[in-house]
Amino acid sequence: MNPTTSDLIPLIVITGFLGSGKTTLLRKLLTTDLGGETAVLINELGEIGIDHLLVGEIAPDTVLLQSGCVCCSIRGDLKDALVQLYSRRQKKEIPSFRRIILETTGLADPAPIFATVLADPMLRHHFGLGVIIAVVDSFNAALHEQLHPEWMAQVTSADRLILTKTDLVPKQNRDMLQKHLRKINPAAEIMANVEVKERDPLLLSAGLHESTPESEAERWIRDFAHPSRPEDEGADIHTGHAGSEHPGVTSFCLVFDNQIDWTAFGLWLSMLLNRHGRSILRVKGILNLSGSAYPIAIHGVQHLVHPPVHLSGWPDSDRRSRIVFIVRGIERDAIERSLNTFCRCLGSSPV
Amino acid sequence: MCALCGLIGTETEWSGSMASSLPVRQQRFLRIAQANRVLSFFHLRLEDFQGVSYVLSSPTGRREMVSDFGQLWPIAETLAGRPIDPLDSAFLDWLSSIPQ
Repeated sequence: MNPTTSDLIPLIVITGFLGSGKTTLLRKLLTTDLGGETAVLINELGEIGIDHLLVGEIAPDTVLLQSGCVCCSIRGDLKDALVQLYSRRQKKEIPSFRRIILETTGLADPAPIFATVLADPMLRHHFGLGVIIAVVDSFNAALHEQLHPEWMAQVTSADRLILTKTDLVPKQNRDMLQKHLRKINPAAEIMANVEVKERDPLLLSAGLHESTPESEAERWIRDFAHPSRPEDEGADIHTGHAGSEHPGVTSFCLVFDNQIDWTAFGLWLSMLLNRHGRSILRVKGILNLSGSAYPIAIHGVQHLVHPPVHLSGWPDSDRRSRIVFIVRGIERDAIERSLNTFCRCLGSSPV
Repeated sequence: MCALCGLIGTETEWSGSMASSLPVRQQRFLRIAQANRVLSFFHLRLEDFQGVSYVLSSPTGRREMVSDFGQLWPIAETLAGRPIDPLDSAFLDWLSSIPQ
């Protein structure tokens, strides 16, 4: 029997480029976590785990992953660390923590973490993916974007974007950065580090594994449903620098008036991600499925898709399916035409 | 286990893990039927194997086991000998033209 989503222990990921302030954010979030509600995993480069020592003062159950970057080669480490924590929790050797926070190295792409939890039968029965928090160094953001592909992977995969070092840049530049980040990842919540509260519920969120996943799903489509910036309304959002290391990233929201057949949609998305997974940086959305009174939420990072979550209600009065894509080098029209064709031609397939 | 179908559990791959009012076996046949409409463009055919896996066949007689739909497309590309791209205009034109 599969566990319900609220039974799962959420794994919250804090990512961000080197020196962007991940550990500072972690300390701030956990300063008052005296009840052992949060276990911390830290993955870092180098032989001496400085970050581990810093966090160790406030979260004694910190486990340090030794393998450097969180990439395919250390999935075993991450799995072992999660299993070990869970085992000690069951034996009551450590407090019965309610969540795990994983602080990645500054060079990590969060997608393999997603894969590790989803692919392992043991992990996916005990752990669920919480929010991905990306810490963005306001002072060096432009440089990081131009020189390091990891920065873009971290920003596009994030559910929350936290701006640090905002006191070092003029307000005008800060506003421009915020606008730029919103264009890259319109489905993420953006806030400055100074606005983060101790044990901030927005950051220590289990995402779709919360008891009310509707509010998380509502965040994804809010910007498109109620555009706060009139200039963006109805338009695709493009970013990226001509001639830079990275081709432009585009984000857009596809809206479908008709109900969607889940089987046809599943075939289409799995086919799309198999061929274009590296270019589909993020997919998030709520779907109005034929035969179902309530919507479902889907979300994926690159070629990985989280199992769909049934919502108990619609986040607003709009009953249309809305899917947010963050892509690199793929035209919106191509994706829209393809999905429309699949739904039209396969949706009524007889058995 | 589904008492009517005798199938243990459900697929763990994301697109097969949706709760449905249909019996598990009927869900499988529905997915196979829809996949075959797409795969016929590439001259491939998917069949159920014991209610737990699938077998993908090519016109030359090559057959590959497929454990779930997550594995289907990479194996299908290998058997077809070419990319399977849902954004390909020629493929979409063909899909639009086949009878419902």
